[in-house]
Amino acid sequence: MKIGLVTDSTADIPDELVHRYGIRVVPALVNIGDQSFEDGTGISREEFYTRLPRLDPPPTTSAPSVGSFQERYENLFKSGVSEIVSIHAANTLSGIFNGARLAAESFQRRIHVIDSGQLTLGIGFQALAAAEAIASGALVEEVLARISSIRQRAHVAALLDTLEYMRRSGRVSWTRAVVGGILNIKPLVELRDGVVHRLGQARTRGQGIQRLTEALQAWGPVERLAVLHTNAEAAARQLLEELKPKLAVPPLVVNVTTAIGAHVGPNGLGFAAVTSG
Amino acid sequence: MNPDTQARLERFKATPIDGQALKKLVEAGLTWLRANQQTVNSLNVFPVPDGDTGTNMVLTMQAAYNEIGNLGHRSIGQMAASVSQGALMGARGNSGVILSQLWRGFARGLHGQDVLDGPGFVKALAEARDTAYKGVVRPVEGTILTVAKDIAAAAEHALKETDDPFEILARIIPAADASVQHTPELLPVLKQAGVVDSGGKGLFFIYEGMLRYVYGEALDAPLVSIQPLSAMNLENSMEAVEPGQDYEVVVDFHPANSLDLQRFYGDLEEMGTSIQVGEGEGMYRMHIHVPTEKRYQPIDYIMGIGTITKVAIENLLAQMDDISRKTGGEKLTLATIEPGQIAVVAVSPGPGISRVFASLGVAAIVEGGQTMNPSTQEILNAFENLPTDKVIILPNNKNIILASQQAKDVTVKQVHIVPSRTIPQGLSAMMHLNPEGDVEKVAGKMIKSIDDVATGEITVATRSVEIDGVEVETGQVIVLLNGKLVLAAVTIEEALLGMLEKAGAVESELITLFYGQDLTATEANRLADLVRKTYPGQEIEIQDGGQPHYQFIVAVE
Repeated sequence: MKIGLVTDSTADIPDELVHRYGIRVVPALVNIGDQSFEDGTGISREEFYTRLPRLDPPPTTSAPSVGSFQERYENLFKSGVSEIVSIHAANTLSGIFNGARLAAESFQRRIHVIDSGQLTLGIGFQALAAAEAIASGALVEEVLARISSIRQRAHVAALLDTLEYMRRSGRVSWTRAVVGGILNIKPLVELRDGVVHRLGQARTRGQGIQRLTEALQAWGPVERLAVLHTNAEAAARQLLEELKPKLAVPPLVVNVTTAIGAHVGPNGLGFAAVTSG
Repeated sequence: MNPDTQARLERFKATPIDGQALKKLVEAGLTWLRANQQTVNSLNVFPVPDGDTGTNMVLTMQAAYNEIGNLGHRSIGQMAASVSQGALMGARGNSGVILSQLWRGFARGLHGQDVLDGPGFVKALAEARDTAYKGVVRPVEGTILTVAKDIAAAAEHALKETDDPFEILARIIPAADASVQHTPELLPVLKQAGVVDSGGKGLFFIYEGMLRYVYGEALDAPLVSIQPLSAMNLENSMEAVEPGQDYEVVVDFHPANSLDLQRFYGDLEEMGTSIQVGEGEGMYRMHIHVPTEKRYQPIDYIMGIGTITKVAIENLLAQMDDISRKTGGEKLTLATIEPGQIAVVAVSPGPGISRVFASLGVAAIVEGGQTMNPSTQEILNAFENLPTDKVIILPNNKNIILASQQAKDVTVKQVHIVPSRTIPQGLSAMMHLNPEGDVEKVAGKMIKSIDDVATGEITVATRSVEIDGVEVETGQVIVLLNGKLVLAAVTIEEALLGMLEKAGAVESELITLFYGQDLTATEANRLADLVRKTYPGQEIEIQDGGQPHYQFIVAVE
């Protein structure tokens, strides 16, 4: 019995792992002016983030069409899988999960569409755990249990360079209440169960990075870790070097995909982690 | 002692000292302190416009007197308890808080007493001392505390020879005076600045006022006094505009003959109030508040006795309007607090700074700061009606921390005080606000964060002094770095750049400049551009702080 695994581009799974496990990734869409790009492949992250501050009107994002999910599912079934696990960005923050759910309804066969409650490697780590379980021959129930277990231990936190992009996105209600930008502040946010919480704020990047690291330590021992950034590779590498001695697992370093970056802005830093269970 | 005084004293001695008598004594102490308010204010260690001790003590005593003004208690114990309550709620500044603690102890010592006798008086003074010492975390000698201690000791000593409370009062005055004069020996910073302790001096005036009342000596008119020009406190007299006295007149002059001060004051008193006379740099300066119809009288009068070199007339009401327009013009959007959330109360000296605090999620602003320290009551009012029990107070000034503490002590809410001494420290603390967090943890993080930022404050020296090895002349631009005087300069530009250098700004990430109401936006931006050029590696932010007296408050982090 073969199980197929589908996710979307906001899971930020590195290409190498996507290929290793044969994960099907459905890209979200990033719209710049009249042009629409496939998230992750249509425009390079470097180019996107460099242009982002000057883009007027600012870019928008769209969920993949229901049809693009149907196509993936269909191809998988044709290739011989009997069940599909399809895991996606938090339903509270994006329409991707809903698109997948609608697509799944048109199939008679079993498709398990899962709301990860997360973004970026917060989804990615759930999907990777599923991929590993599938590769080791697990039953679908075991795969789903594995995802559920990871989901409960998944943390994502980030230091944004400004609140502006998140406010503009209109997806996080409290950002509207924060009276706009009198002082330039760098917000610290945490994503839990599909809700973006305000972890605090910092005036300088130095203070912010320190607080971010404190947040990571407060989570406790981790079994999976990714250092996330939005086009701040050097800062992310430096953070990685500082953390390495304290870490049991080698972390991934990920330049966050454009569909998320459009809503958080460039120069952000963050962590995605799964704590030891 | 002249026969009139003697007869008056005999009358006092024949009457029991009850609650009503205490009311009269409190009023006398207040009146005499107010008459000498400027003298106390001028005893400022740092040559900066900050919370004036005289003003704070007068306002505290005024609140105490307001509490009892209409009370008919005969029992002195009850009356003292009311004095204590009024002082507690009205306490402003550190000296005001300690004064309110003295009253609290005094009232405790008189608990259950109907009238005051010698032993009761001495006991009350001792209780006052003990309570005041306990009200301060780290008592410092050479302050109002020492003077209270010496007063209690002198009273105990006097009791060995007399149990007449008036005689005891008469004996504690010289002891208080000597104690005040001795304060510079105990507190080096006073000696360095060449002043005695202001709070101690204020306490002395309160007791002296009581004795002057008993002796039938004048209380309302200030003793004829002349002060150095630099000690004249013309800026702050805004806070004391009496109704009807609409114009402020300041005249610089050279008297033709030596000035007969007694007569000069007497004549000016016919025209108006808030009279101050200063001397220095070879000339005299007269300051007075007068009603509209008398606005030229002081000028004509002084022309009659000497040569006028300069006249300044200002419409105080228009100025007040201006200030209230500036501060009240824009409505603040404060954070809405849900039950159970953490509410932060911040003290702010200017409308721009208030807006910044509001934007960071503060639930209530208490106006005040360097020159106007809010009372315990004002701080309490800011959070009593918020729909939460979890409160964090950011005093943002060293002279407001104790009053905040007092507000905490009189509320049932769970209050944490983050002892921020500057605006940048308060803003740094706000970075750690998480309204849903555990209030204890959030407050702990805020306290830790206070040291994340260096604070520079730029103002104009109110007098000449040498302190911390820096020689300052009146009118020079001076720099305080983390509360310490580090630099005196000729221009604001020089002061600003000098401050940043001393703060090690080149190692920092971010420099935030809050410019005050005395600077125009154009000038402030010019200076900010200069800072940008000098510090290309740092992020520079400039904000309209709107604070009085301080041209710049700077955060370096």
